[in-house]
Amino acid sequence: MLKLHIPQIGIFKTCRRAFATALCLGLLLAACSRPNDKIDNAVNLRQLTDEAGRTITVPETVTRFVSLAPSLTEIVYAIGAGDGLVGRTTYCNYPPEAQRVEAVGDTLKPSIERIIALRPQVVFVSTASQLEAFTNELAAHQIAVYVTDSHDLEGVFRSIERIADLLKRRSQAAELLRQLRARVAAVEEKVKLRPPVRVFYQVSDEPLYTIGRDAFITDLIRRAGGISVTADVPGAWPKYSAESALAAKPEAIVLPTGGSMGNANSNVASALRGSPAVANGRVYKINDDHLSRPGPRSVDGLEELARALHPEVFTK
Amino acid sequence: MIMDLNEATGNERAFHGIDESRVTLSRTFIVCVLLLLTLLLVIVLMSLLGSEKLPAPASLCALLTFGKSSCGLTADQHAILFDIRLPRILLGAAVGGSLAVAGASYQSLLRNPLAEPYLLGISNGAAVGTMIALVFLGAHEWSRPLMAFSGALIATLVVYRLAQGRTGATPERLILSGVIVTTFLSSAIVFVTTLMDATRIRSFTFWLLGDLSGSTTKLLWLALFIAVAGTIVLAAHARSLNLLMLGERDAFDLGVEVARVRLVVFIVASLLVGSSVASSGSVGYVGLVVPHLVRLSLGSDNRITLPAAAICGAMFVVVADTIARTVIAPRELPVGAITALIGAPLFVYLLRRR
Repeated sequence: MLKLHIPQIGIFKTCRRAFATALCLGLLLAACSRPNDKIDNAVNLRQLTDEAGRTITVPETVTRFVSLAPSLTEIVYAIGAGDGLVGRTTYCNYPPEAQRVEAVGDTLKPSIERIIALRPQVVFVSTASQLEAFTNELAAHQIAVYVTDSHDLEGVFRSIERIADLLKRRSQAAELLRQLRARVAAVEEKVKLRPPVRVFYQVSDEPLYTIGRDAFITDLIRRAGGISVTADVPGAWPKYSAESALAAKPEAIVLPTGGSMGNANSNVASALRGSPAVANGRVYKINDDHLSRPGPRSVDGLEELARALHPEVFTK
Repeated sequence: MIMDLNEATGNERAFHGIDESRVTLSRTFIVCVLLLLTLLLVIVLMSLLGSEKLPAPASLCALLTFGKSSCGLTADQHAILFDIRLPRILLGAAVGGSLAVAGASYQSLLRNPLAEPYLLGISNGAAVGTMIALVFLGAHEWSRPLMAFSGALIATLVVYRLAQGRTGATPERLILSGVIVTTFLSSAIVFVTTLMDATRIRSFTFWLLGDLSGSTTKLLWLALFIAVAGTIVLAAHARSLNLLMLGERDAFDLGVEVARVRLVVFIVASLLVGSSVASSGSVGYVGLVVPHLVRLSLGSDNRITLPAAAICGAMFVVVADTIARTVIAPRELPVGAITALIGAPLFVYLLRRR
């Protein structure tokens, strides 16, 4: 009997200890979470939908945020909201004052610990970087994630508008967009009567990568009075067949290079050396920071593209 | 001893004796000629397929005249066929041949059916060498194959040394050392990749999976030369490798200069792996699947296995790459994905059929 009882007492003791521990932990958690609840209740919250269709909840006034894409950093500075930027990626090098902001890693591997330590209210992410798991983890820490998703220039403008809406910079954004749209209209006016130039956009030469249907640069080329020979290829950044690139007979080849990525990609892929573009000397190196970042400087890229494709209408 | 050997290699013919040897020699010759003709046929047929449709009769005619006559092809079509498609196919042949013959000789030398450039970490060694050349030396023409070769050789020697325990190398120890070296080098690759800029990472990961699209003419000729010369040198050591399959001590007793043969195989196989990785990244599975397929169908006498593995490896990669460049055309897949996708089930099928 006695021998039977002892283990029962042991189990009871263990249970009690476990219960006590759980109770303590629970109280501790409650104690910890209480101040947070108060803060959350203190501020007014609002709900909005981001460009990936997710519903997010943000404070009425957002004063601390992190940008995880160079294009998004450029957008927040362009609408005059740079003061609230508390974290950026190592690639965010423009405008120069952005470099004074703490870096939280690159676009592919941001440091989640550092982001949480910075206590942002919102983190801005571009769809290009697949940060699904990452988004969930931030959500667990009451940090809202706003995802941008632009496939054309109009989409870039929409991103600017909605980020400005979130950060309460509507009037600055309206002014910025008015200027940008005027510049776009000026370019389109100049090239509208010119026959479109067939363009091959070389993302990298070895292996050969180009832009597809979903890349916003495809739209940029169209507005600049050109037509991307790979405009119908599925995806945004497809690896492309060298023989198809040559067979498309591009009249011009655009090499995005010379920006913050240095001089990589400054040579035409060997397969395209026999293309009409090379034969006629129509290979254009354009700053990749302007072309590959869907932000306000995309319009600089558009102007540079149009100048390259239709020099005749810009010299006058 | 000779009886043992025959059992071990599964070949009915004796290795000594003039008559038998002559039979094997003529058999090797016939098999090789037949396989070479098949390879030629495969190369011609695969040249007719691609993301761009070329008129088949005209292309065939142009191929048969080695491009001297245009046969009604336009200048663009001619350029596609001879400047883009054919060099890529030839590179595929060189890479496939190199990897398969290197795998076959590692398997004999190390007496391990799992010995393969990819599994032993030798491909990764060559990849790290190539990456260092790309990132730090910036050069493409000669530093790349040279560094790839050095990387492959260092990885081979490290794996071999690690495998040598106090009791000698056991098959398990060898594979374990291969796994260790592979893992270590993989982390080295990840480390160097993080030092690269964002745009190059994507193209680099593609290259790591094996990609035949972006190579220069110089690298192509180098790869072809090394593939042919390497196969000849290794095939010339086929008899020693046959004896080595009995064990190093027995081979030594039978008059094989074990240390010299081992050194030759290590250097030549490293050259083969290095040149193929430098021009096309790490194409996996070829060095494992092809030699075994050849052994299953032709027996394991290295005098036949080595040249036959080289030719079949060439065919395998040429066909796999044709699939890679046509199946989602005009987009492309890495050839390494296709070799693994075909190789693994094929291997399982043959293994179960035996």
